[in-house]
Amino acid sequence: MLIFAVAIVGFAYASVGFTLNGKIPSSMPEYMLAFIVIMVAGHLAVRRFAAYADPLLLPLAATLNGLGIVMIYRLQEAGKNGNPGYGTTGLFAPLSSSATLIQILYTAIGVGCFVGVLALIREARTLQRYTYTIGAAGLILLALPALLPASISEVQGAKIQIALGSSFTIQPEEFAKLALAISFAGYLVAKRDVLALAGRRMLGVDLPRARDLGPILVAWGASLLLLVFESDIGTSAVFMGLFVAMLYIATSRTSWLLIGFLLFVTGAFAAAKLFGHVGERFTIWLHPFTATNIQGNAFQLVQGLEGMANGGLLGKGLGAGQPYLTPLVQSDFIFTAFGEELGLAGVMAILLIYALIVQRGLRTALMVKDPFSKLLAGGLSFMLALQVFVIVGGVTRLIPLTGITTPFLSQGGSSLVASWILIALLARLSDSARRPPPRSIQDEGLTQVVTLT
Amino acid sequence: MNRALKRLSIAVLAMFLLLLINVNYLQGFETSSLAAEPNNARAYYGQFEYQRGNIVTADGVTIAGSKPSGADDPIKWQRYYSDGPMYAPVTGYDTIYSSSGLEYYENAVLNGNDTSLTVRNFIDLITGKTRKGANVTVTINSKAQAAAYNGLVATLQGTGRVGAVVALNPATGAILAMASFPSYNPNELAVHDGTQLIKNDDTLQHAEGNPLLNHAINTTLPPGSTFKIVTSSAYFNQNPGSSTQTAVYSPTQLTLPQTSHVLTNDDGEVCGNTGTDQVPILYAFAQSCDTTFGSLGIKVQAGALNSTAQNFGMNSSSLKIPMPVSPSNYVIPASEALTAYSAIGQYSDTVTALQEAMFAATIANGGKLMTPYLVQSVIASDLSTVQSTQPSLLQQAVSPSVASNVGQMMEAVVQQPEGTAYAFNANNEGVTIAGKTGTAQNGANNSGLNDAVFTSFAPYDNPTIAVGVIIQGGGYGATAAAPIAVQVIKAYLGIR
Repeated sequence: MLIFAVAIVGFAYASVGFTLNGKIPSSMPEYMLAFIVIMVAGHLAVRRFAAYADPLLLPLAATLNGLGIVMIYRLQEAGKNGNPGYGTTGLFAPLSSSATLIQILYTAIGVGCFVGVLALIREARTLQRYTYTIGAAGLILLALPALLPASISEVQGAKIQIALGSSFTIQPEEFAKLALAISFAGYLVAKRDVLALAGRRMLGVDLPRARDLGPILVAWGASLLLLVFESDIGTSAVFMGLFVAMLYIATSRTSWLLIGFLLFVTGAFAAAKLFGHVGERFTIWLHPFTATNIQGNAFQLVQGLEGMANGGLLGKGLGAGQPYLTPLVQSDFIFTAFGEELGLAGVMAILLIYALIVQRGLRTALMVKDPFSKLLAGGLSFMLALQVFVIVGGVTRLIPLTGITTPFLSQGGSSLVASWILIALLARLSDSARRPPPRSIQDEGLTQVVTLT
Repeated sequence: MNRALKRLSIAVLAMFLLLLINVNYLQGFETSSLAAEPNNARAYYGQFEYQRGNIVTADGVTIAGSKPSGADDPIKWQRYYSDGPMYAPVTGYDTIYSSSGLEYYENAVLNGNDTSLTVRNFIDLITGKTRKGANVTVTINSKAQAAAYNGLVATLQGTGRVGAVVALNPATGAILAMASFPSYNPNELAVHDGTQLIKNDDTLQHAEGNPLLNHAINTTLPPGSTFKIVTSSAYFNQNPGSSTQTAVYSPTQLTLPQTSHVLTNDDGEVCGNTGTDQVPILYAFAQSCDTTFGSLGIKVQAGALNSTAQNFGMNSSSLKIPMPVSPSNYVIPASEALTAYSAIGQYSDTVTALQEAMFAATIANGGKLMTPYLVQSVIASDLSTVQSTQPSLLQQAVSPSVASNVGQMMEAVVQQPEGTAYAFNANNEGVTIAGKTGTAQNGANNSGLNDAVFTSFAPYDNPTIAVGVIIQGGGYGATAAAPIAVQVIKAYLGIR
């Protein structure tokens, strides 16, 4: 499977080179070698530390990660070496010549963390002990950018990063999401009985007791604060969705879903009315093609849509489209670059890869025995699905656009490393789920064998 | 918990299904509407994706072509024009926003989107050959074009006045030369930098003499005495028995009916030396006596002048070469006095340089007016001919005998000593040129400079080229316009 993944990435990389320069890129041998070494290391770690882990997870993630690297290489080459490109400054500024190398470096760090998680956390249940520690850490990570001065934390109008020096930035929310998923799982396992059973029935729906609403209100408040102070609607939605979904898994009570959903919609609606930047998202979602929007805030969205339309069914081919016409295409809009160059066929394949990863995660959740692992696996899988839904739905104008990264594909280290940790956790959980029960210590000689005829 | 997980899985499935349906809708069904969206940068750059075809003269000179742009230019091909100002009336310009001339009217074949090229494009796609637009071969002869443009430059440079030359093949209607002055360099409008383009365009828009206008087909000026071709055609038409030697009324002064106005010849001179007021029409034509033709105009009447003028192609707004040609105008005057003026190419008569060439071409071709055309053929990138223009008769303007009579008189203009263009009878290596000069008065009380006009064809016995020249404010037709026409004829016929 991994060989397939690496081969797909290799062919894609060569294809970019052929289209742009008519030959295999000179950087290909070393970059591909690095990629293969990283992935083989990941594979060996799985064999060593989680031999029973779901065998699909690593190859699927590797394919996405590799395709992301290829697209970043393709965008890096735009406007260089005689290749068509557009613009030299600001939003259209070409990627630096080392963008691909840096992404491969982040891949190495990501897979390093993947190996580290597998090596250190030998049993997912141990995480349950640190429910509140991890939860606090997650909240601090989440709140940190909002508390820091804008010069350090602001990027594209959202306060979501911590800049260390001029070139190195961390987006702590990527890690906060993971921490909070673990923390939620621990908390809900402890409290699920009371959340699930207490309460009364009204209008055919089981309503929880008012005092049990505490946790969901806290989560709601945190997500709203995120929305207001960090201008980060996407993460806020993912965060809220994650909590509500895990609450639902834990309690099987539809009322939690309804309450969570209503709270989020009310909050988002109020925010849209109160804060300009939130309302603006709705305007450009509904009317992107009006003259003022198309040249203004909807420009990026419209460029992305037109890029995907330009790709059509089969795409222009890697290196043959004009994804560089979309501002900042390498981060939130990288999916549209795939849409333009690989076409409908390509993006459907990418979506199905995501769907497969999510499906393997949910399957793990169904198979695994202990409730904490169940909740964690379900939560993590759902979070990945939700993240893909929010960003891909956003750039394809299914839902209002909110800037979050596309897992594995977007340029940027934090998202990539966090995604690899997520895969590591899923691998660890699936290892627990699929591990055969310990051999019976019974003396087999005493077992009576009955032959049924 | 498992029940909730299963339900959640269904929700996740629904989310992915929604995404899949949405990308299918976006990339499967919405592509054309999104591509048609105004401001679609990709559709815009798409026009420049393939190499545009060349524009080539009949004798094989590439006057417009496309070469690869520099790196980091999203527009892949740079249009270039050789001898831009000389050929600008033919090629037009092709900017990143708009185009004109053949660049506009032959755009579909030049960019390769024309339906006649669809199959070839498909074959190119299959065989992996790079798609390229078709080449357009024009009827222009590079030597005639150079002579025409250089003549205009030499005559008009720095004057602020306009001028134009058109040469036709009388037998086919093929346009052999089409020059306009002042002209512009289309390379300045082919720049890809939008700011620079707007600046260059603004300069040309406000330049003296409106260089962006093709004066050869879109500027009309009074034809002056060259209109006597129409007047005499109308006369011969009404009097089938008459010949070039038929005597016509040629007073020194013609008092116009119902007025006290007196029409005289150019310097008040006597027409002919016959001692009477009767002169052979050939003599009056050669010397270009205004009194004679003013009187003939009154005699044949404005209606006949109008229909004859229309037979020569005037008053028609439907002519396209394929660029639309501004109509040359003959307006039926309200009085006989004004009819006399209209018969000598004054009053409201105005013509294009193309119309001037059409006068001579019709006479040279035995009265048959061929439809003028500029595009000879369209050659696809695989060198096969996609389209080719067949000469077509626009109309039989006058009968062959009328054409023969007028032709004789035009020969006399250049070959007889009394002819206004006698200066051009020699040094033509035996080639006889026939023509008619025109000097149109301008302004209030004729205070403006006279417009110089000349229409001609050669060789007289077997005409292969007809040339019309109009020089605004050039003075006498024989002085300012005729030399250019003669240079064009010599260049085309290869006479030193």
